[in-house]
Amino acid sequence: MTPALVVTITVAAAAVAVLGVLSTLARRRIGLVHLVAVGVLEALLLLQTVIAVVALAGGERPEDVPTFLSYLIGVALVPVAGTLWARAERTRWAGTVLAVAGAVVGVMVWRLLQLWEVTGA
Amino acid sequence: MRDDRGLGAPAEQGASGPGRVLVAVYGTFALAAGARAAVQLATRFDEAPVAYLLSAFAAAVYVVATVGLARGARGRRLALIAITVELVGVLAVGTLSLADPAAFPDETVWSAYGRGYYFVPLVLPVLGLLLLRRGPAAQKSPPKSPPKSPPP
Repeated sequence: MTPALVVTITVAAAAVAVLGVLSTLARRRIGLVHLVAVGVLEALLLLQTVIAVVALAGGERPEDVPTFLSYLIGVALVPVAGTLWARAERTRWAGTVLAVAGAVVGVMVWRLLQLWEVTGA
Repeated sequence: MRDDRGLGAPAEQGASGPGRVLVAVYGTFALAAGARAAVQLATRFDEAPVAYLLSAFAAAVYVVATVGLARGARGRRLALIAITVELVGVLAVGTLSLADPAAFPDETVWSAYGRGYYFVPLVLPVLGLLLLRRGPAAQKSPPKSPPKSPPP
């Protein structure tokens, strides 16, 4: 739960969003390139989840635990949902769906960091 | 062929595309508003019952709009009603929350025209209504141009 990790995740999420928009502009569905980018993003999100869970187990507590947990779990599910949806979409808007997922992750991780930094302790 | 695997196969033609994107965004908001309302109502309902019930109402409107949009032509009426309620809601709550901040001690999705969500709640119903207006015309006259596909 460090700003450095959040910045890294934001960069990965932005890459997913740009790739998604590009494939819409190119009138293509999503391909391997997109899957690799989403895979990197998801790996970073899972790393973040592990770090947060370890910190929580170590006794650190954000002020608003239920909201923090729902963001923590929710943000890790967004790329999965976006990918499944984009894979099923046969028009060129598949990439835009993926781009929306990337943008949502980019916003959610910053909100998550904000929630974490308001510690109850 | 390698390009198709790497960068994605050429897309199929279809008018439903932008609608699908809107469904994705609406679904995200239905989830976000719903989760937020659930947390607020479950953990601190006493602090600001009006604001939290409003969050729950907003979440319900997003869910109905998502379902309506996802059903395409069959859900058009449902989507139209839900999105109109949504537009009225975001304008009314946005104005009230700025005019009388004391009445809204905690943020809702629609507070200050959705400022907490980068004004997406304000833009979304407008896009939704534009898409629904365009809908029936697009379905009556299918595109006459031959499907465009990039050269192999």
